[in-house]
Amino acid sequence: MNAIKQTNNKGSGKQPEIQLNFDYSDGLAKTKKDFKQLRYRLIAGVVACFIIPHFLLSAYFHFQFTSTLKSTGKYNLEALAKSQKNTIDLFLMERKMNIRNLFYNRMDSLNPSKDKMLYYLQTLKQNSDAFMDVGFLNKEGIQTGYAGSFPELLNKKYKEEEWFRTLINNEKEYIITDIYLGFRNKPHFTIAVKQIIHGKMNIFRATIDPDKFYMFLRSISKGKEVETTLINNKGTYQIVDPDSGNLLGKSSYLPSLNVLSGVKEISGKSGRELTAHAWLQETSWALIINQPLNLVHAQMYKTKNIMMTSFMFIVSLLVLVVLIVIDNLVTRAQVIAENSHQLQGQLIHASKLASVGELATGIAHEINNPLAIITSTTGVVRDLLNPEFNLDPSPENINKELDIVEAAAFRASGITKQLLDFGRKNRPAHTLSNINDLLDKTTQGVKKHQFNVENIELIKNYDPDLPEINVDPDRIGQVFLNLINNAGDAISGDGKITLSTSLKDGFIRIMVMDSGHGMNPDQIKEIFNPFFTTKDPGKGTGLGLSISLSIIDTMNGSLEVQSLPGQGSLFTVSLPVDSSKEKKQEVRG
Amino acid sequence: MKILLVDDEDQFRESVKKQLTVRNYTVSSVSSGEDAIEFIHQNDIDVVILDMRMPGISGAATLKKIKETSPLTEVIMLTGHATVNTAMKTIKMGAFDYIPKPVKLDVLINKMEDAYRKKELEEKRMNHKVK
Repeated sequence: MNAIKQTNNKGSGKQPEIQLNFDYSDGLAKTKKDFKQLRYRLIAGVVACFIIPHFLLSAYFHFQFTSTLKSTGKYNLEALAKSQKNTIDLFLMERKMNIRNLFYNRMDSLNPSKDKMLYYLQTLKQNSDAFMDVGFLNKEGIQTGYAGSFPELLNKKYKEEEWFRTLINNEKEYIITDIYLGFRNKPHFTIAVKQIIHGKMNIFRATIDPDKFYMFLRSISKGKEVETTLINNKGTYQIVDPDSGNLLGKSSYLPSLNVLSGVKEISGKSGRELTAHAWLQETSWALIINQPLNLVHAQMYKTKNIMMTSFMFIVSLLVLVVLIVIDNLVTRAQVIAENSHQLQGQLIHASKLASVGELATGIAHEINNPLAIITSTTGVVRDLLNPEFNLDPSPENINKELDIVEAAAFRASGITKQLLDFGRKNRPAHTLSNINDLLDKTTQGVKKHQFNVENIELIKNYDPDLPEINVDPDRIGQVFLNLINNAGDAISGDGKITLSTSLKDGFIRIMVMDSGHGMNPDQIKEIFNPFFTTKDPGKGTGLGLSISLSIIDTMNGSLEVQSLPGQGSLFTVSLPVDSSKEKKQEVRG
Repeated sequence: MKILLVDDEDQFRESVKKQLTVRNYTVSSVSSGEDAIEFIHQNDIDVVILDMRMPGISGAATLKKIKETSPLTEVIMLTGHATVNTAMKTIKMGAFDYIPKPVKLDVLINKMEDAYRKKELEEKRMNHKVK
């Protein structure tokens, strides 16, 4: 490999030095810029395709969840009201049944004795300590029997009392009154049952202690800061917490009588409250349950906070993982691309040096010819100065010979300079170039003389009006040299190479046609593969066409080949006049 | 000894011719293979010094022609790009020897003398055969 030899001889001073310090800073900078853009695009893509939908979806679920939890909070409070209402109904029904059973089964006298009444009271108190006293009333409403803490109520006339009149006039055999003060002037309520004994209407009643009833209500209350009250159908408190209202005072909230149970938000003393109600079956009371809204939704807020924190954590974690993965992938891809870029640059340069190596055969001859002139002319000078030969060693004669030596030396120098110019590593740089000039530069000097001595006719058929295009003249020159070298190598004996240029459809077409041995279809399929060569061993590296294709590809051009065995080959390079045009790449046999 | 020098490089041809002439060799020179074949056809030449790489007929083709028309004429090949393959190829074609450029005059003269002696021996052998 010539490239390796050049590297090893670098600095020895014995052979021309060819720079091998690869400088692809422009290309690398572009690659870095491209990957920076790719990194930003990927991150933006992830944000757009992953995080934003994630946030939108989460927001949707959050609002759904909040709505569901609010509904659940209302439902739960209403369910609690219903449950407590059932318990109270059951309590009242039990008390009513206690009285009724006693009245129906044990009453056998229209004037029960005091002891008998005490017995009844004790029997009832065994069932519930909420019973305060008992009374027996005849049809006229006179309480003929009584046991309890208010003995003055014996023989009191209740005929005008509302509850008495309601019980007498209604078909229902019992009544549960609202809370009232009555003759004793203390809050209580009455459960009274009527029965006909010995053909006469009689009433047995018992009063319930509202404090005990309140304690019972508190015992069945559940929930934090849940406030339970009972109101009648006029909005009067029947049972109420002393801190929340006054017994027999008016409630600010009266639920609709037609709605057996329900729940709504209201403004209460501690701000917004959720209020559930349930109308009792046994009496026209409504159970009212209040709970501050923030406590109703406390679980919801807690869950929401946990969800939000979890969501933020998961999203942050995912974003972090995705960003790390993107960063790793892009960094790896960037390293690979940069390495590939550098390798491609090195490969192109190696191929270039290989092309120089292929030139070396011709160049050795071209350099050795002037050297032969120098050595032989030097011999002539020696002969002039040798008295043995009796020549004329005049300064004119000697100068004449020295001029020949000097001219030959400069000729050799020109050849090595041309070789060095081609082999020198230049930074890839696009400049406006004339393709005809680049072709001429490639074919002048050594190649021209080589074709001359090999009897290869070089025909140029250029379009003189070609526009200048933005290409890397160093690299495109390498492509031309590869194609022209190949054309020359394909010709055995006399032959011709035709170089043509033209402009068509926005592309400059450069055609290199030779009259050489041509290629068969199988060879054509392989020629762009690296290290494939149809040349004799040692004559070609097999890199020229693959590198040329790569170079043309970077210029958004195409490289086509047409060939017939025994007739020659035609290589056509197409380069866009506007390099921003779409890539076109085609290989035809 | 009559020498024919064939090379497309005029200055090389002239300088070698000068050096050989002062050393009492009879030297003619031409610049192409075609001229060499013609010259040999018309003149009696003992040794041809022939450049391998020339425009027109190549050195190898000229050698072939010379050996066809004048087999006793010895040919020394000059080459600017000497390889073993080149040497083998030209010797197989009938060349006496080959000399890489640049040429040392004494090496050239030695080769010429050797070639001339070989030619004389060949001629004597041929004459002996005829007799």
